[in-house]
Amino acid sequence: MNETFYDVMRRQGISRRSFLKFCSLTAASLGLAPAFAPKIAHAMETKPRIPVLWLHGLECTCCSESFIRSGHPLAKDVILSMLSLDYDDTIMASAGHEAEAIVTEIVEKYKGNYILAVEGNAPLGEDGMYCIIGGKPFVEQLRYAAENCKAIISWGSCASWGCVQAAKPNPTRATPTHKIPNLANKPIVKVPGCPPIAEVMTAVVTYLLTFDKLPTLDAQGRPQMFYSQRIHDKCYRRPHFDAGQFVEEWDDDAARQGHCLYKMGCKGPTTYNACSTMRWNEGVSFPIQSGHGCLGCSEDGFWDKGSFYERVTNINQFGIEANADKVGGIAAGVVTAGVAAHAGITALKRAQSQGEQK
Amino acid sequence: MSSNAVEIPKAVYVYEIPVRLWHSLNALAITVLAVTGYLIANPLASVSGEASDHFVMGYIRFAHFAAGYILAIGLLFRIYWAYAGNEYARQLFLPPLLTQKFWAGVWHEILWYSFIDKQPRKYLGHNPLALLFMHFILVWGTLFMIVTGFALYGEGTGQDSWQFALFSSWVIPLFGQSQDVHSWHHLIMWAIICFVIAHIYVAIREDKLSRQSMLKTMVTGYRTFKDDAPADD
Amino acid sequence: MTAIITPNGYNLDTGGRRIVVDPVTRIEGHMRCEVNIDENNIIRNAVSSGTMWRGLEVILKGRDPRDAWAFVQRICGVCTGTHALTSVRAVEDALKISIPENANSIRNIMQLTLQVQDHLVHFYHLHALDWVNPVNALKADSQATSELQQKISPHNPKSSAGYFRDVQTRIRKFVESGQLGPFKNGYWTNPAYLLPPEADLMAVTHYLEALDFQKDIMKIRTIFGGKDPHPNWLVGGVPCAINVDGVGAVGAINMERLNLISSLIDQSITFIDQVYIPDLLAIAGFYKGWLYGGGLSGTSLLSYGDIPDKANDYSASNLLMPRGAIINGDLSKVHEVDLRDPEQIQEFVPHSWYAYPDDLKGLHPWDGITEPHFKLGNKTKGTKTNIQELDENAKYSWIKAPRWRGHAMEVGPLARYVIGYAQGNKEITEQINFVLKTLDVPVTALFSTLGRTAARGLEAQWAAGKMRYFMDKLVTNIKAGDLATANVTKWQTDTWDSHVKGVGFTEAPRGALGHWLVIKDAKIENYQCVVPTTWNGSPRDEAGNIGAFEAALMNTKVERPEEPVEILRTLHSFDPCLACSTHVISPDGTELTQVKVR
Repeated sequence: MNETFYDVMRRQGISRRSFLKFCSLTAASLGLAPAFAPKIAHAMETKPRIPVLWLHGLECTCCSESFIRSGHPLAKDVILSMLSLDYDDTIMASAGHEAEAIVTEIVEKYKGNYILAVEGNAPLGEDGMYCIIGGKPFVEQLRYAAENCKAIISWGSCASWGCVQAAKPNPTRATPTHKIPNLANKPIVKVPGCPPIAEVMTAVVTYLLTFDKLPTLDAQGRPQMFYSQRIHDKCYRRPHFDAGQFVEEWDDDAARQGHCLYKMGCKGPTTYNACSTMRWNEGVSFPIQSGHGCLGCSEDGFWDKGSFYERVTNINQFGIEANADKVGGIAAGVVTAGVAAHAGITALKRAQSQGEQK
Repeated sequence: MSSNAVEIPKAVYVYEIPVRLWHSLNALAITVLAVTGYLIANPLASVSGEASDHFVMGYIRFAHFAAGYILAIGLLFRIYWAYAGNEYARQLFLPPLLTQKFWAGVWHEILWYSFIDKQPRKYLGHNPLALLFMHFILVWGTLFMIVTGFALYGEGTGQDSWQFALFSSWVIPLFGQSQDVHSWHHLIMWAIICFVIAHIYVAIREDKLSRQSMLKTMVTGYRTFKDDAPADD
Repeated sequence: MTAIITPNGYNLDTGGRRIVVDPVTRIEGHMRCEVNIDENNIIRNAVSSGTMWRGLEVILKGRDPRDAWAFVQRICGVCTGTHALTSVRAVEDALKISIPENANSIRNIMQLTLQVQDHLVHFYHLHALDWVNPVNALKADSQATSELQQKISPHNPKSSAGYFRDVQTRIRKFVESGQLGPFKNGYWTNPAYLLPPEADLMAVTHYLEALDFQKDIMKIRTIFGGKDPHPNWLVGGVPCAINVDGVGAVGAINMERLNLISSLIDQSITFIDQVYIPDLLAIAGFYKGWLYGGGLSGTSLLSYGDIPDKANDYSASNLLMPRGAIINGDLSKVHEVDLRDPEQIQEFVPHSWYAYPDDLKGLHPWDGITEPHFKLGNKTKGTKTNIQELDENAKYSWIKAPRWRGHAMEVGPLARYVIGYAQGNKEITEQINFVLKTLDVPVTALFSTLGRTAARGLEAQWAAGKMRYFMDKLVTNIKAGDLATANVTKWQTDTWDSHVKGVGFTEAPRGALGHWLVIKDAKIENYQCVVPTTWNGSPRDEAGNIGAFEAALMNTKVERPEEPVEILRTLHSFDPCLACSTHVISPDGTELTQVKVR
């Protein structure tokens, strides 16, 4: 079970008297009557909510926005009753030094008992100064907060893989959490997606609290419960794929009847996520249901796999933009032409030598 | 070198029945795999009507997977036969890459195909250049296709399947993600297709111009010769 | 110790105490603010700095223009989709693609949905804690709160004393736990908070209600775009097909989907009318003596306009959101805005961490050059990786300084509303007059932090009404037999001209947003975004003009310098979005590969 806040303080050699003093100071700092102090003390001795530091690096805040779209549990219930979201610069009341002080406080007081949630990633270029928090590189804050945490949650594709700012040529050297040099060795749960599905995010959190352990992770560190199957495997349009019925161009009859988007570049067959089953925003829809192919946003490096509207990835290494089938087709053509030429020369030489013999 | 060569009879039994059978089956499997593989990536025009009345992609994919199994099992069997069979059965898997003679042979073949060397050499088994391509493109290429193919197949059969455990679990992350595995699977298919084109051409050409039989050997297993000089390998 | 007067009329004095706020929280992205205060705690110098850079436009170079929307959409997940819409418009402009009427209606509904949700979330979850004290709500009397609620919003059914008592009990348990979560280290004893406990309790209750409701609003975008945040868009239209009663209609936008959207629109209108607007007016009523933060809003305002009534016509007369520029405080003249005119919009970098061949010259976005150049001034206190105080005489921000005909401009809901008011827009004038009358304040009260916050609320109300308008338009068009949602005649790249350029614009929740792109041989040659927070959060330019954030902070009194409530209040009233503003532009990208090597 979790240690209570009081247990933690006692373990660190803080006396009961100091603890009670802390409680009355807390009450005073909130402008509350002294009568609140014993209640705070009681709560801290009994049932603490697990503290969470939710840091933001280079990101777009879509993960936080997704999180607050959760229908079950509601974001407000997570924040008020399940976690203690002590630091999250997107919603927290305090700012500046007072905000930074919270990170220090949690790291010091809850050694090994807080969760570090990372949204976005740290740029390593320009000494980390492409992302500055409190005048210092974000990567320093990340390393500091990771030092004493219980586990790290890498929210979204930024923290899990690098996402858009890490797309070629990655001008800031944006680096996902698990590849940050000199980061404390802690268990990392990757919850990829741009953003992840809201209910997947809250389910990961509630799993941690309910079962008091990390969810089972796959080989790449993603919770197996949500990332073990491809969108294609459970897509409701799969029968149209198997039948060979495809949308051939936007808004054609097949599009209006909900046929397979494979030919429009859908990345469902190569993307591990729960979109086709859980769907988005309390099950209202998901990209394929709304007529657009999957972009593959929960996959590593999905920005650099060619156009979102091509099924076969373009390979830029060949100088010109071409996919494997075009490259291969050209190669096969060249070989065939070479063979034909060679056969022609062979025949010619043979005719010549026979002519010479005559 | 050629001094080591012994006088040989008019016909030598080089390719035993299992080897010839494998050759035909393998050729068939590769053809089916290439055609269906291409169609999986670039499907045919859509069919109309209800989805439940059709199974076009389903059949194409079935053919691809079935042929894939034949290719894989065939290769396993062929590896077994490399031990069980005669010395020519081993050649494909163990080219003498460390010998000078082999590379001299490769060089000769290059000169021969460049119309510089006018006199072809005489071989009981494969000529060194052919062997080089067969070993690296056909053997390793096929192996690559089997591994990546099963890795992709395992994504569909699921995490609890042996295909996933043996292949997908490590191959997919190794390449980055599934989409990358697809790309490489395509590229190597084209490499094999290029090999096949050259292979067929050269086989016909050698049958006509070289000093030993080719196409007939593929069927009967016996290598016959057009002159009595000793073999070069 | 020096005092200077900026060309745009601000008297900067760098004497006194320097206060640093970093991180500025409850915004999107990362930003830093430094101010100098005099002996009376009045802000005499303000410095705002964008503290992140992602380089998205560099990444876009060489990509397929049809993919661009997905990349730029990831500039921001809060105003999610507005960059994507701007992008598809820019590509369509470049390639001269027209979109079907239905696609225009659907895009407008999606954009208006964002306006409603974003404004709502901003007011309650990013801004409210600058005005509302949740701890003070514990002292409220639930009966009195109920009476207050019924007085300000008689039709709101959630107004019983029991309802407020339950919420109060929940807040009390939360506070008594000692773990204050997001409210930890707030400034709850600061005298700057003026609401009575009952108003605090009502506002906190609605903080929670709004948090629940905002997720429902966005379902509209999920229906059309498949997910939210970051729904899907399409060059040439929208990806969702319409099939009301044909075979397979369940696979498209059908009657059930239309009903769901319609119901959500009605709920949005109700929530804004019964909760958001009454709260806004009630809270404003207690703070109407606090009229700081006007900044540039009384003098220099800019709006590109948005929400085309008919498809494919982006001229000012067809845009339901107003377009124009006001300079020198002259509301009698609204200037025309042309995004293609190289003389109008230019970006400057002398105080930004970028380098131009000539730092003193501004460049129009189509001709823009950008090379990141992180360099701190001589008077910076601290080190490169541990900045104590910035030197605003040198480069000090990852945000560029865009200017309209040389003027620093404010953009956003207030800019749109003042421009609309100046143009005599009937709906906007009615709304503004209603608020001024209700609060009993003169029109000049608009030019303030509170005015900015009020304009945002009014715009949410307006946007909700327009959602209904476009929904009706969509249904009417479908009824007339038009099901088209996409124009594919120029989908294939071989139908494109080899060298074209285009510009797309929207009014994002935070203000005027423009994307400029150049397409060469079916690939993006140059892509540039000038976004709302680049305008508002801009640092000084070569002439010394300060930006809108900085101007708005000037001359504000702070109650307790160590508790920057007032600074947050004014900055938040702009709804800053730093991930948006700190982009980069590069015509050839070569300089940037060197950055990578460093």
